[in-house]
Amino acid sequence: MSNDIEKIQKKKQAWEDKVLKPALEGFGLKESPTKSYTPADIEGFDFLSKVGFPGEYPFTAGIYAAQPGMPDPRVGRATAQRRSGPRAARLVRAAGYSGYGTAEDTRDYYKEMQKRGDRGGPNLAFDLPTQCGYDSDNPMIRGDVGKVGVTVDTLRDFEIIYETFQGETELDRIASNFTINAPANIIIAMYFALSEKRGIPLEKLRATPQNDILKEFVARGTYIFPPKPSMRMFRDSMVFLNKYCPRINITSAGGYHIRGAGATREQDLAFSMAILIAYLQEGVNAGLDIDSFAPRFTINQFGGSMEMFKEIAFHRASRRMYARIVKERFGAKSERSMLLRGGRMGAHIGCENTTIQRPLNNLTRSVIGAVASALSGGEGTAYPPYDEPLIMGRGLESSQLARDATRIVHYEAKLGEVRDPLAGSYYIESLTDEIEEAAQKELNKIETMGGAVASIENGYMQREVAKSAQARQRRIESGEDLMVGVNCFVSEDELELEIKHLVPPAYDPVRREQAEEKQIRNLTELKKNRDNRTVTQLLKELKEKAKKEDENLIPHFIECAKAYVSEQEMCDILREVFGEYEPVSL
Amino acid sequence: MSEERKIRVLIAKPGLDGHDRGAKVIALGLRDEGMETIYTGLRQTPEQIVRAAIQEDVDVIGLSCLSGAHKYLFPRVVELLKEQGIKDILVIGGGNIPKEDIPFLKEKGIKEIFTQGTMVGEIADYIRKNVRTQATRA
Repeated sequence: MSNDIEKIQKKKQAWEDKVLKPALEGFGLKESPTKSYTPADIEGFDFLSKVGFPGEYPFTAGIYAAQPGMPDPRVGRATAQRRSGPRAARLVRAAGYSGYGTAEDTRDYYKEMQKRGDRGGPNLAFDLPTQCGYDSDNPMIRGDVGKVGVTVDTLRDFEIIYETFQGETELDRIASNFTINAPANIIIAMYFALSEKRGIPLEKLRATPQNDILKEFVARGTYIFPPKPSMRMFRDSMVFLNKYCPRINITSAGGYHIRGAGATREQDLAFSMAILIAYLQEGVNAGLDIDSFAPRFTINQFGGSMEMFKEIAFHRASRRMYARIVKERFGAKSERSMLLRGGRMGAHIGCENTTIQRPLNNLTRSVIGAVASALSGGEGTAYPPYDEPLIMGRGLESSQLARDATRIVHYEAKLGEVRDPLAGSYYIESLTDEIEEAAQKELNKIETMGGAVASIENGYMQREVAKSAQARQRRIESGEDLMVGVNCFVSEDELELEIKHLVPPAYDPVRREQAEEKQIRNLTELKKNRDNRTVTQLLKELKEKAKKEDENLIPHFIECAKAYVSEQEMCDILREVFGEYEPVSL
Repeated sequence: MSEERKIRVLIAKPGLDGHDRGAKVIALGLRDEGMETIYTGLRQTPEQIVRAAIQEDVDVIGLSCLSGAHKYLFPRVVELLKEQGIKDILVIGGGNIPKEDIPFLKEKGIKEIFTQGTMVGEIADYIRKNVRTQATRA
């Protein structure tokens, strides 16, 4: 083998001198704009240890042995079969990430989506006051109520949202997703209170809270408490869910927010791994067996950029790196613990790479993402819909086109036929190694600082991400990085395409305008009519319990939820005990 | 006039939106352009922003919001400035602002809106052209 490598290297040198150089001279170039790879770039490559089989350690080729990516299409004419829906039960289409205005608005939205064929549980987007632990009636947060998601102040809001989910879609028959982090424990406690009222036992509930607080300090910004008490909250949910809720995932952690905030590929991977390590360690510190809880760690999305091959290699490297960490560092025995599970999308383009200039180009971009997704072990998902950057967007047309693009990638281009089709490519294998090594180096640096929590407390991660974001902006301004329609191809010769929505938006703009006032009225009424003596008593007890570091607060949050204690009332007590996070300066 | 005062810019995040990549990039980028920039950090109320602008004696306030709350928050900042009798601070905004909201915001006194894909250099040029610095105020 080594002789072969030497031979190849010699041959390559000869090719560069005799073939490449004259060609470049012909073009008037000093350096080649393209590269080529040979077996010399992956010298010593060992298939079994580096790649292996799909569904087997180190999971480079995919976390599952086989993956039925898409539901069987029903061939034939539309109407009748649309109602009956796809065949395989587990592949029933659930609603997309959504939540609008008041609880009533969101309930009605899901009702409408059920009419259109959705059968899954809600994938709830919460408004920022809910994500940051404020009630709708707080004058400090005016303007934000009901924007970017539904507002949840008390259990009453959950009761209303879930009116749509009964009978065939009762709580034990659907899975709910909650994009909630800092107050995740309070929100899941509200869900537990709701299930108790409906007589559904905890062990039957299926849900995934995002519950990934550490990345909020680095990106996205919906933190409340400082990192250390935040980790205590994480521990509480992990221990509680582990004991009582075998079908609820503990976290849906993910690096794509960090990438979206500006991190490089290597930073994204290193920071994500450091954060996952911190969570896993917290479980071990709480006395849990790694194989009892690690299988219910999931990831949200990883990565995101237009550089397709690099993103594919990134996903291969991520799976391998995580598996190695869980196995070698945490001594996991079960392979289920080692899966970087849940990121069914695989590679994608990253929402931050969509443009408002000539927005239909985003469809082209997302199709490139869909190809990357399929080749990286994902479902070939075209994401996001082309009107993503237009804020009011997520028009039904753009969602239809995104779904169709995914279907075309799957059924017409048949990109799902082979697992890890780029395995063994000199380029992809060397790129996978390169990304993993660079990320490992950065991870070691974080470890020296004391891990994810320490490197967030001292502001390292936040500053590094800001620096990378600025570097990217400089490259865009200098023209080193190009974005079509943004910093190139912008002359008057280009046609500025506008888009128009033909189907009305899912959320009525009039209701949208009225949501804040309506929610404030609802909450004022509720606060007047509940048993306020119990509320005061429960909050007093919460303070005492919060002061005891070992106390798991979830059972008490459930009691508070049942008495319609509001989210901010609970958070304010915790703010008193835990303090609030002070962000680091730039 | 012997020492030219640098243009002072407050980059502020009103409301609860935590997406501050843009705000940070603008704050750092305008610094590269020779301006003094102060970044407020997240979750500032309009009151806090106006207070900081006065304390820091800035010439420009740049507001950034991606949550859709700009129609309330941006005009509120201008309103509070007016209440304080401040007329010479240039207020500009950016973020995820739908095109159809821009005329409304301009009518409310936000002088310019820079949306996604704007180059920092372009914003710096705009500021230089439109700002009324201490020198011109005096």
